[in-house]
Amino acid sequence: MHIMEGFLPVEHALGWALASAPFVAAGIVSIRRTIRARPELRMLLGVAAAFTFVLSALKLPSVTGSCSHPTGTGLGAILFGPAAMAPIGAVVLLFQALLLAHGGLTTLGANLFSMAIVGPFAAAGVFRLTKGLGAPFALSIFLAASLADLATYVVTSLQLAWAFPDPVGGMAASFAKFAGIFAVTQVPLAISEGLLTVLIFNALARFNPQELRELRVTGQAESQA
Amino acid sequence: MLIEQAAYANRWRTVTPGAKALFAGCGLVAAFLAAATPWQAAAVTTCLALVTLVGAGIAPRLYLRVAAPALGFLAIGCLSLTYSLNFDSDSGGLSLAASASGRTQALETGARALTALAALLFLVLSTPLSDLIALLRRLQMPEILLDIMVLCYRTLFVFSAALRDIHTAQAARLGYAAPRLALRSSALLLAGLVGQIWQRAHALHLAAEARNGDGPLRFLAPPFRHARRDTTIAALAGLALIALAASARIAARWHPA
Repeated sequence: MHIMEGFLPVEHALGWALASAPFVAAGIVSIRRTIRARPELRMLLGVAAAFTFVLSALKLPSVTGSCSHPTGTGLGAILFGPAAMAPIGAVVLLFQALLLAHGGLTTLGANLFSMAIVGPFAAAGVFRLTKGLGAPFALSIFLAASLADLATYVVTSLQLAWAFPDPVGGMAASFAKFAGIFAVTQVPLAISEGLLTVLIFNALARFNPQELRELRVTGQAESQA
Repeated sequence: MLIEQAAYANRWRTVTPGAKALFAGCGLVAAFLAAATPWQAAAVTTCLALVTLVGAGIAPRLYLRVAAPALGFLAIGCLSLTYSLNFDSDSGGLSLAASASGRTQALETGARALTALAALLFLVLSTPLSDLIALLRRLQMPEILLDIMVLCYRTLFVFSAALRDIHTAQAARLGYAAPRLALRSSALLLAGLVGQIWQRAHALHLAAEARNGDGPLRFLAPPFRHARRDTTIAALAGLALIALAASARIAARWHPA
């Protein structure tokens, strides 16, 4: 769910850009260090960004019968880690603004914060937590991908509510309004994307178990299951 | 991609990207300055749209098709701003009601977003992404982000073609005939593409190593004639946009009511 160009007031646009900047900077430092040790990862990140961009062009059947497109937030965070997703997300969101006019340059910081920072960290956190609690692999993936989508949607609604508090009910009423409107598309999308991500990992475990083990997504037993 | 088609085929393809980015930047500044005065905002938006349609020669139908998703978001956003959610303590129910302050906020936000969208569309419809990446390199963007951008730009068309081909093959075998089948086919498609991430990255790495690639990926930027002239014109036009946007404020300061 992208906030369109110019929708946020200037102080909010700048504030969210400043809030996102340290995460992107930390991601760049982390990637630079990793690339120094393993130069082949330079290409992997660029190709992963292209995959994430193309993912948004795919029409996904939603559980309510409508169509939407996957965000890839949960998938990317589980495969490449949440820290790498901030710079990758920055590039993907910039490309979406420049090649599709989705989102915008002034709202890049706000969109980055919800989609490339909160979403991936939520996905990675939920995945580790559920795996640590001994939940089945498929359930961990489903919860991570679905809750990452829901976290993104809640944060975007909060960003809009903070920027435009309701004249009568204040920020809480505004949040209920925005969250209510976007729930029509975002909640079914979260469930669909959760199911889709589980199916993707099932297919990856069958055809690319080596890569999943190298990325420490699965153990020996899970990739053979 | 519609934007890419227009960016490579427009009349101002050979104008230096720095000049176009400067003009679009001034348009964004004007959008924030003119938000509170709808007539000024409308004038700035009209100027930006006319420059894109008449100056750069973008087809109006293509322009509207590119703007449509953002306009949809804007319509929903402005409706949500216009109506307030009220909690009725007597009946315990929720109701929606339009308020004057909500209407003002919606008008201001709509004016700002429309003007900013017109500025963004001017930039993206008149400038190919490869030129913008070269401009960001000149502006000292971190090298690693530029590398991701260059690789992403060059690979996304390969992935788009692979996605289209696999989707066509699946659809021909009734892979999208029902929602359940569509979800399964989408998952197989994406898993196939995820697998290609490593294969393609490995092939690119080998190709770079074979050519003594030792770090950043650099490409020759095309030369732009008249860069100084274009930048001067863009700066003057941009300043005119900002002056138009701020004219109501300036008039109010000089002639207070």
